[in-house]
Amino acid sequence: MNARKLTWWALAAAAVLTLADFILAWFFTAPVLADMSLDTAGRVIGGKLIANPILFSQKIFYFHVPVAIASFAVFFFTAYYGVRFLQTRERKFDTKARIATEVTLIFTLLTMLTGDLWTRVEWGVWWTWEPRLTTYLIMLLLVIGYFVLRASVEDEEKRAVYAAVFGIIAFLDAPLSFAITRIVPSGSHPVVLRAGGGLDGLQLTAFLLGMAGMLLFGYVIYQLRYREERVKERIEALKAALED
Amino acid sequence: MADAPVTTASVSSNPSSSWRQFKAILRKDIVMELRTFEMLTSMGLYTLLTLVIYQIALSQSGSGFDVRLIAAGLLWLAFVFTSMLGLNRSLVHEKDQGCLEALLLSPVDRPVIFFAKATGNLIFLLIVQALTIPLFFVMFLSNRPLGGAWWMIPIALVVGSVGIAGVGTLLATISVNTRGRDFILAVLFVPVMFPLLLAAVGATSAAVLGNPGYFAEFWRDIALAAGYDAIMLLAAFGLYEFVIGA
Repeated sequence: MNARKLTWWALAAAAVLTLADFILAWFFTAPVLADMSLDTAGRVIGGKLIANPILFSQKIFYFHVPVAIASFAVFFFTAYYGVRFLQTRERKFDTKARIATEVTLIFTLLTMLTGDLWTRVEWGVWWTWEPRLTTYLIMLLLVIGYFVLRASVEDEEKRAVYAAVFGIIAFLDAPLSFAITRIVPSGSHPVVLRAGGGLDGLQLTAFLLGMAGMLLFGYVIYQLRYREERVKERIEALKAALED
Repeated sequence: MADAPVTTASVSSNPSSSWRQFKAILRKDIVMELRTFEMLTSMGLYTLLTLVIYQIALSQSGSGFDVRLIAAGLLWLAFVFTSMLGLNRSLVHEKDQGCLEALLLSPVDRPVIFFAKATGNLIFLLIVQALTIPLFFVMFLSNRPLGGAWWMIPIALVVGSVGIAGVGTLLATISVNTRGRDFILAVLFVPVMFPLLLAAVGATSAAVLGNPGYFAEFWRDIALAAGYDAIMLLAAFGLYEFVIGA
């Protein structure tokens, strides 16, 4: 199977998986309170008294967390292709790193957008300096910095080297900023994937489906953009050849 | 540049020769500074102006407001801005007067250039900090006692400044070759420095406030900042060769 076909199959699989995630999350995971409002008295759901009522807003978890994890997974490739570029000085690795960073930008924006919707409903604020929110803001700034840097260097070779170096530094910075923002001030973001975490089988299934779907989406966007860039580069080369 | 080694002696793998090269580049920066005092004057004046702006910012807070609560943040804010100014200058000199090309032509190891430039920047930043701290205390904290132990503050300053100078030298070497220069440095510098600054402010704040348990808090934040320094300096050290050669 060639790469082109694989991309379309991946796109189909990504669509099916995320759709399955949404359907499972929407209809089959913890039931939604009819009035969708905060209920301080608690309520009996499925034979258990839920003191903190599970709100409708909770369902954003099945989109928000997969896309957040995927954004970081894609960011890894910015650093990986940065290293590969510095090793080989092949232009294609620079293009690959740049496109991986573009996908990171999209996913980071989606993470922040969905996260903000959730904090607005759940915590009553649009923004709070909580470790994960702060980390994602920093990650967004790093990614924006990456593109600002690229835009301000004329020389192609230099641009690629600087971008590779900054991409590696930025990828190292993101987990450091997560660790440090988490330890230094006190936070209140729910910790989900810990030992004895609150996901039952169905919820975990939905989450994992979404996770796989989102990673595949990342792959598809990356592949399509990369192919576009390759065509562009080929056209540029042809134009240059014609002019000579 | 006159002090840079021009001998053709063994280039690398000889630790004593690396040490001599390091000293030569560092001495060049210090001699240049002693002749003009350009970096220290600009950085010091810039910090002083920042303190004046703090007075404006705090002018409506009233005498009941305990400035100690935000003192660490204010101090590091001033240091961040002044270090960006200094880092940019230190590399602009090298670039505009063609010193960087000359340094690259001379038989000096690339990592040596990195460590020498970073050490120079660290020294200037520490001098500015040493001048700023007493001034800050006189201006804003004269009637408030220091909560913790005084010797904690220099430790926090050194640990924070090592990271700023190290990673800052790498980023400034990149930004000096771009069109935006100081703007690009700010865009790259602030998000990369964010975790370090958070830990440094935490440690400094613990020392200034001296709340119960400040001792453990201080060392925890120092450990975090030192961990950041170790990881990022290692990365910057490894990547500098590519940046300077580009």
